[in-house]
Amino acid sequence: MSNQLQEEREIILGNENVDAFDFDEVREFVKGADEQLFISHHFATKDKMLVQPRGGFPTYQKQYALYEFFVDANVDVLPLTIDSNTRLNDYSTAKKMLRLSEENEVDMLNGYPLVNHGYRTTRKMMTHFNHPVSLRHGTPDARLLIEIAIASGIFEIEGGPITYLLPYSKNFPLDKAFLYWKYVERVCADYSTLNKPINRESFGPLTATLVPPCITIVIQLLEMMLSLEEGVKSFSVSFSQQGSMIQDIVTGKVTRALAKHYAAQIGCEDAVINLVYHQWMGAFPTNRDSADQLINMSTVIASMVGADKIITKTREEAVGIPTKEANAKVVADTQYTLRILNGLPGISDEMEEEVLTAEVHAIMEAVFNDPADTLWRKVFNSIKNGIIDVPFSPHIINHNKMITIRDAQKNIRIIDRGNVPIPDRCYVYEKSCCDLNKDTTSIVNDIIHDIGIMQ
Amino acid sequence: MSNMNEKLLIDIGSTYFKVSTDNSIEQHFRDFNKQILDDLTHKCGDTLQRYDSKNVHICSSANGGLSTLIIGVTHSFSLKYASNIAYNAGINVIDSIIFQDIEDYSIPSDLIDVVIIVGGINSNGGVFDERLTSYLAKLNYSSVVYVGNQPDGALVAERVEQLVVLPNIIDDRLHIVEEHLKDFLTNLYQQDIEGKEDIKHLYQITDNQIYSTPYVVTKSLPLIHGSFPVTDPFILLDIGGATTDVHYSKDLVNDNIVTEQGFDRLVFKKLGVYKSRQSLIFTAENNEFSYELLMHLKVTENIYQEHSEKATKVLMQLAIFLVLCKMSHYRPAYVTLRLLTVNSIVFTGGITKVLTTEDIEDIVAFFYRKILNSDHKPVTVLDSGYNIWTLGAKEHAVCL
Amino acid sequence: MKVVTGVIGNDIHVVANRLMDLSLNARGYEVFNLGVNTYLEEFFDAAVETGADILLISSLNGEAEGWAREVKLLKAEYKSIDKLIMMIGGNLTVGSGNAEDIVPRYQNYGFNLVCHQVDLNTGLDMLEAYVDEHRPGERGKGELGNVEHNTREQVPS
Repeated sequence: MSNQLQEEREIILGNENVDAFDFDEVREFVKGADEQLFISHHFATKDKMLVQPRGGFPTYQKQYALYEFFVDANVDVLPLTIDSNTRLNDYSTAKKMLRLSEENEVDMLNGYPLVNHGYRTTRKMMTHFNHPVSLRHGTPDARLLIEIAIASGIFEIEGGPITYLLPYSKNFPLDKAFLYWKYVERVCADYSTLNKPINRESFGPLTATLVPPCITIVIQLLEMMLSLEEGVKSFSVSFSQQGSMIQDIVTGKVTRALAKHYAAQIGCEDAVINLVYHQWMGAFPTNRDSADQLINMSTVIASMVGADKIITKTREEAVGIPTKEANAKVVADTQYTLRILNGLPGISDEMEEEVLTAEVHAIMEAVFNDPADTLWRKVFNSIKNGIIDVPFSPHIINHNKMITIRDAQKNIRIIDRGNVPIPDRCYVYEKSCCDLNKDTTSIVNDIIHDIGIMQ
Repeated sequence: MSNMNEKLLIDIGSTYFKVSTDNSIEQHFRDFNKQILDDLTHKCGDTLQRYDSKNVHICSSANGGLSTLIIGVTHSFSLKYASNIAYNAGINVIDSIIFQDIEDYSIPSDLIDVVIIVGGINSNGGVFDERLTSYLAKLNYSSVVYVGNQPDGALVAERVEQLVVLPNIIDDRLHIVEEHLKDFLTNLYQQDIEGKEDIKHLYQITDNQIYSTPYVVTKSLPLIHGSFPVTDPFILLDIGGATTDVHYSKDLVNDNIVTEQGFDRLVFKKLGVYKSRQSLIFTAENNEFSYELLMHLKVTENIYQEHSEKATKVLMQLAIFLVLCKMSHYRPAYVTLRLLTVNSIVFTGGITKVLTTEDIEDIVAFFYRKILNSDHKPVTVLDSGYNIWTLGAKEHAVCL
Repeated sequence: MKVVTGVIGNDIHVVANRLMDLSLNARGYEVFNLGVNTYLEEFFDAAVETGADILLISSLNGEAEGWAREVKLLKAEYKSIDKLIMMIGGNLTVGSGNAEDIVPRYQNYGFNLVCHQVDLNTGLDMLEAYVDEHRPGERGKGELGNVEHNTREQVPS
């Protein structure tokens, strides 16, 4: 590790909310950590799709109780979802709210304030359950957070400079996010040399609202490359259920193939790339029974896609933060479905694969053609220029010019490419799949309907 | 003669000048009874002789920089965008005026170097009227530039002599367009420096263009990590004799603006420890925490009247505190920074010759405790060898 | 006609905001979308910079009551937006409240058009009716980005 990075780490960890970070002790801990704590180990050794729920509570006791439920339901990977104050680096508010949550039995935070709990405390919980844990946050500047996470025994870090910024923030400077995530990649890469590799996972769902697969895949590939070029050896690309089974199958196939292709292009063939599938991330039905059906169908599609890990939702999704009971139920249900789901047919659609592949290559090429000297700056410029455009992103840098809609099979199609370099023939094809032969207000009504498709 | 490629870097400030070679840096208090060139050759003649004029690079902030007055139509767009561009071009904003109330503003008596007029997207003409021209007629200024909506530009140009019309800095999505105004202001600053009699003499010792110091410092910010243990986000404070310059990481502000560079700059024109001493004291007297701060430093308000080394030291400490206040919610000026997420504070300029790291950390800690009720402790970095300036000047010299 | 729109305050309903943008475009307005998390001053300032005819503020998380009282006072500070048509839509109160109480209250705060829990198209129909009545003949024709109609080309090989 470079001296410069170490100096930066010392400053970051000198934060007043961190209680004497002991670099040597943490290094020794990671070196000697049980392989069960590493999701990269589970990916390498297990044949089944790993099941990971979502969830984070403010207090240690409630998080512990949640994990007990999950383990009883035969969970594969535990989640640790972080509260929104911590995501904005506002540790002092998180601290106050944690204290109130502890005193009043009312949850004043929407997740676990990891920095305030500290690694010495949290590590006790992680090593007690001895399961791999995935850090779910949404933080543009996660430098301090991931240090505390790894020191706690959390060896999967979700997120990335694009996927954790464009869906969540209006004005955090994107260029800074790239630099802060570079730190994350470097620290993960460094710890990866001590034991099993730390896994990095990109957040494919993005805004979970009519994002076309080519945009999702391009962003997955770019975050993967930014991570691998810093030395990360285990990376997960991901996407969420899109609304059409065939589109999901095609997306999974193209993502896997191109991840391999672009990893090789930068000489990182040795890195292990896994595929993660998110159950439906859009608006959920309020009816709990319908929600259960949707969740079950997601599991079936994940199997068709051949994902290595599935991240679940709950029947209470439309209502609010799910109870631990509902959360544990979905784990048990999903495991059951996976167990009985056998003899899946191999399905493919060569033409759809060809079109999607051509779209992704064209966008990637446009990104690489940017004159900037580093990959992150090429990506930054491409987002600024609208070469990458994420529908429904709140961020001011995002172009918001691309318009998408569903066709009759509920595939997401691009009807206005904005500044995204979709090849002409693909663009013509995308539009030809849709019924655009109506007035514009009707098209907007279709879009509204397409967003709420599962409700 | 020195090595063919070795460069000599010179910075002329309002109080000191600095001379930097590949292996040494010297700094001298200016003799105001002499021309800069005479003073320079008198004190560093030997060094100067060793360099070919094509390897000498000079920058200057000796004239305190250019001043601008901005006339815009709203705070959130026209004034904010124009101020941002002006600051980043090294210009000091002395006043900004909302056009609809232009008749209520008093006319500044000082000469304004450049007036900036901005407002409206291009499809929105008819924003300005004769109140603009009658205000300008009363104003004492050297140049005036129009960067507002296109239709009004032609009309204003008919009535205002010497008006420079540039493309609108607000585009049709209400986003900022920096390029043209930034280039214009940078060049204007440049010409101003070159036009100063004192500076003109310096061309006897250099073949290269003389640049403004803030411009050179801006060049160094992306490279700072290579030379200092500085961690983003950071702020850089240059507390000088006449003004205080602040450069800050963009993620410290919660602002709906997408600009080119990773840092923004702002200037507090009347916060300095020599030329602006009186206004510094005035600001201090109007800050309810100053009294406590003086107690903390174990001095009384009598220190304001003293002219001792001790007094200079206290004034500098006060300046740090007052600048931090102006960037916090407590005394918001142009921007409010998220000071609790600052990881490093870098100090450069004359202050590093007077205060120690301990002196500074004491004040910074006092500020965080009193104003932000926090034990937050950003790492203090002292650039006592003028490395930041050298870095920027070198980078700049290489780029040429 | 020019419309400035956006979601006010600490509210991150991006989907609703973008749909508003698309719908207004489809109905022929020139849209200036300030996005989510927008301050009240930014709305008025944007109206001044663009010369907007209409200001359409969305508030979906029930916090409108908190800032709506300031509208009149703030608007009074501006001298060039007297003719601005002011519209507000979304969930204008926390919990249940009925439109008969809410609409006059918000009209009193300075809004010409108040849509509490009214669906998007109904709300925009109300806007059209209002514009036709107060500014006859000023509405334009709809479009949706670059979407060309009647594109039914054959599937490429």
